[in-house]
Amino acid sequence: MSKKVLVSFLVLVMALSLSPAFSAVKNSAGKILPPDAAPLEYQVLRVMSQPATTLDWFISVYKRTNEANNYFGEPLVRLNKNFEIVPAAATRWTVSKDGLTWTFYLDKNIKWSDGTPLTAEDFVFSFQLAADPKHGWDFAWFYSPIKNWDKAVRGEVPPSAIGVKQGKDPYTLVITTEYPAPYLPMMMLYSTPLSKKAYEKYGPYYNNDPKTSVSCGPYILEEWTKDKQIVFRINKNYGGRVKPYLEKIIVTFGDPGTSAFKAYLAGEIDICGYSNSQIFTPADLEVIEKDPELSKQFHQGFGDFRTFYLGFDCYNPPFNDLRVRKAFAYAIDKEAIVNTIIKKQGIVAYGFLMPGFPGANPEGLKNIYTYNPELAKKLLAEAGYPDGKGFPVLDMWVRSDLASPTVVAAANAIGAMLKKNLGIDVKITVKETKTFMDALNAHKLQFYLVSYGMDYLDQSNMLGIWVSTGRHAWKNERFDKLVKEASALLDKKKRDEMFKEAEKILVEDVGGIFLWHQTPGALWKPYVKGKDLEPDKYGITALHWPGIEGVGTTIFSIYISKDVLKYRK
Amino acid sequence: MIGYIIRRILGLVIVIFLASLITFFLMHAIPGGPFDELKMPLPAEVKAQILKKYGLDKPVWEQYIRYIWRALHGDFGVPFQSPTETVTSLIARVWPVTLQIGAITIVLSFTIGILLGILSALRQNTWIDYLVTTIATLGTTVPNFVIAIWLMLIFSVTLRWLPTGGWGEPKHLVLPVLSYFLAPTAVIARFVKVNFLEELRKDYVRTARAKGLPERTVIFKHVFRNALVPIITLLGPMIPDLATGSVFIEVTFRVPGLGKFFYTSAFNRDYPMIVAMILLIAVLWGITYLVTDIIYAFIDPRITFT
Repeated sequence: MSKKVLVSFLVLVMALSLSPAFSAVKNSAGKILPPDAAPLEYQVLRVMSQPATTLDWFISVYKRTNEANNYFGEPLVRLNKNFEIVPAAATRWTVSKDGLTWTFYLDKNIKWSDGTPLTAEDFVFSFQLAADPKHGWDFAWFYSPIKNWDKAVRGEVPPSAIGVKQGKDPYTLVITTEYPAPYLPMMMLYSTPLSKKAYEKYGPYYNNDPKTSVSCGPYILEEWTKDKQIVFRINKNYGGRVKPYLEKIIVTFGDPGTSAFKAYLAGEIDICGYSNSQIFTPADLEVIEKDPELSKQFHQGFGDFRTFYLGFDCYNPPFNDLRVRKAFAYAIDKEAIVNTIIKKQGIVAYGFLMPGFPGANPEGLKNIYTYNPELAKKLLAEAGYPDGKGFPVLDMWVRSDLASPTVVAAANAIGAMLKKNLGIDVKITVKETKTFMDALNAHKLQFYLVSYGMDYLDQSNMLGIWVSTGRHAWKNERFDKLVKEASALLDKKKRDEMFKEAEKILVEDVGGIFLWHQTPGALWKPYVKGKDLEPDKYGITALHWPGIEGVGTTIFSIYISKDVLKYRK
Repeated sequence: MIGYIIRRILGLVIVIFLASLITFFLMHAIPGGPFDELKMPLPAEVKAQILKKYGLDKPVWEQYIRYIWRALHGDFGVPFQSPTETVTSLIARVWPVTLQIGAITIVLSFTIGILLGILSALRQNTWIDYLVTTIATLGTTVPNFVIAIWLMLIFSVTLRWLPTGGWGEPKHLVLPVLSYFLAPTAVIARFVKVNFLEELRKDYVRTARAKGLPERTVIFKHVFRNALVPIITLLGPMIPDLATGSVFIEVTFRVPGLGKFFYTSAFNRDYPMIVAMILLIAVLWGITYLVTDIIYAFIDPRITFT
């Protein structure tokens, strides 16, 4: 009997030791790796980014790495692959009845790597720094709904007057807004705080040196060699919710547009095409399509819900005449442009909001302007330019950072359509970004091709850029009123209806001609796996926005599978 | 001769001053500024604060005077694209990288170029000559960034022998140097060949041969020296050219050198870097021409300084 018990016991022990619960490998942060994961030393993800000066959002938005950032701090919330916000530094949040006061309850388990707890003070400090005109933050327009934000930025009130305060205790953060802003939690994706203590001790660039860098996020800084690479190492003491699998993330510096695809082909990086600077050229796409292996590694996504459009100076002739703008809208065959030039990299745009973006209404806008050269000609004649006679020669500016061969080809196609259908001569000029934006922001651009991608998932963001105080020389009072009122509305149904009406006005009044929504692709190696890289709730497998940035959950779900042994030496 | 050198140095100072003046005013005249927003216009007050922080709120002439004054004290400002360091420290950090590639390229291209040129002159109209001519034609007609892509596709993507880019190990040097070196090698080979052929047909060579000197002595003692003197003309401009790097090569191979800053500084309207780079080029060219002229005088007794 006792022998039988002993044998049973031994069998049980052996069975248990073979079960995943016992044989599982834990990484340095104590997270159990999936059964098909490669050994720990292979849990390294290699990506490419443009060189950076900082990794911190509140120091500079444009001088950071492409997407491989926001790993050192916990934002209040994160975005998952289904574009839903999930708790991060804030375990929960509430809003007052009037919709003006948001209270975020911070996770008490999160500590900075120097042992200091993450508290509301760090958030208050970071926001006040960004609002301080002396800091000269390059994204200062972003938090406009926050109470006194604009006044502080203009220097009319001190930064301490902004509506970001500590609540009843150090773990409660209260944000008040000028008007109800139901999208505020979505904006708080971008709230990765600075450590007040480290900033005060070492200055704004404390995160550039492993000796002074402080993190409360899933990774800490291991190495930053200027113009060469940044190495992030897993934060063993991370107390937040998204413990990562990857032991390291290596960011090699280079120009992703020029080098990333080749480095990917050579097996030097694992993911490619995850940001706007890595859009594949038509030649790259051809290589991908012809290679059965690469085709399997290619995944089309939504990107940042970017829309390419034609813009006008609607304040001056000839585009101050709606008939002229309408003639242009009827004269351009968007379907042909997408089918023959843009191909996989985009879908036809009927409005500014891309399908999948909250409140998008492609069906409702589809038939407002359909390709109709005859009607276009008639409208132009009515405006006083029969067959384009007397119409000035147009110089279509295309912003250089967006002017991929595909975009330039599309611009040329538009020029040819306007010549053929309206008799208007169009010259295409690729204008260097700074020159372009200088003219656009000053409302001095007559005719241009540009794009815009969202900053947060709400109509108030994308439609907000069309209000008359924004960058476009187009004004419609009803549109302005609708967008401003809807942005501050808590009633979702009414809000959506108002935004829908606003977008319809934008299309009908031809504030711009919306051409295509970009659907960029990303490549990742077969050994790069993770739940966020599996199909989303719409059944789409993609590297969803914000890609591998730390304000999304994707990067923390990624691990390297055993297949890597076939690829990496 | 000392008087000549002093006059030339004074001339160089004037050139540098004029270069800084023209660059400074031209770059401020170009539309767009270093702190333009890509998405939405920045609030005017924020922009004003940023401009004030960098002294860009002052009239351009005042900015120029301040700049020159600081530059004379060794302070060339802070690069807008990398505000964690100074212009001087940035250049000190990245220039050695470019110099390293440039030096290897010069040594290799002169050694191989001279060798190929001589071989092709001595074996005129043979397969060696045709091969050298083909290499020379390729080197002079195909831009180095095209060669760079070819090399990358062959050695990195297909064979995976060498990395597509990066810096820090000897293997990172191979492809950038190979991409660089073909063009100067081609020029040198062609130049040497022509000079050699010309010298070979001269009377003194005929005399030497008639005296019964061995062919080796004729070639290496007499022809070689005379044919190579004009190469100094080539070496001169090549030094500042290679010492300042190539945008294409450095961007393609992710070399953290000086070359790419010519591009990024202009595109970012990084005023302090733009002026510093122009001054650097002006000084390099000025010194190179001065040194070349002095060396000429030493080599060729017919040249005198007035």
